[in-house]
Amino acid sequence: MATKPTRREVLSLFRSLMRTAREFTDYNIREYTKRRTVDAFRHNRKLSDPAEVAAAFADGKSQLGVAKRQAVVYSLYAPSIKSVMEM
Amino acid sequence: MASVSANFVCSRTSVRLPNQLWQMITSKSLRLATVGWGRTPGFPRLSSSRFQISCAAKKETVDKVCEIVRKQLALPADKEITPQTTFTDLGADSLDTVEIVMGLEEEFDITVQEDNQDNISCIQEAADLIEQLVANKS
Repeated sequence: MATKPTRREVLSLFRSLMRTAREFTDYNIREYTKRRTVDAFRHNRKLSDPAEVAAAFADGKSQLGVAKRQAVVYSLYAPSIKSVMEM
Repeated sequence: MASVSANFVCSRTSVRLPNQLWQMITSKSLRLATVGWGRTPGFPRLSSSRFQISCAAKKETVDKVCEIVRKQLALPADKEITPQTTFTDLGADSLDTVEIVMGLEEEFDITVQEDNQDNISCIQEAADLIEQLVANKS
């Protein structure tokens, strides 16, 4: 199985997820992505078992892939008016 | 060579600073920039891109950073934040630090690289890095 990710890798994944969240054109999805990554990383903060940590990390990476693809797809259908929350 | 504060402009002719004013300038920790008297055509340049004596970042930048940190860490309003406070002092872990840097990126419209990110430990350093990136961008 995968080896335990280092602290840098975990933080790098966190940063990538936050950066990908910024690329969404839809306000709701953007906020959700940010909220969800923060919640998930905080929830898993205290994990100590290397297998669990590696599993959570792999899960995060696959979610990052999903988010990136979806960001591209959503940008094709970007809304022309801003959401009221952004004004 | 004379030191002037950011808000105080001296004319080129020799002016004796009143004692009060001199004390104000030297006592407060304002941003000081050294100005060459003989070079510029009568108007001292106040840009801080040359000599940075004390704090290198502008006060507004430091204030904005403090504001973002405060909001991110949900600090009570009476908690004192100085430019030298480190993030760990305020109870932030590494995830919080990344979030703070993200907030700063968004606020100032800059991109912080990975290796720069690791060096930021206190508010002053964050403000300095922001200034540097903004200057590089423009």
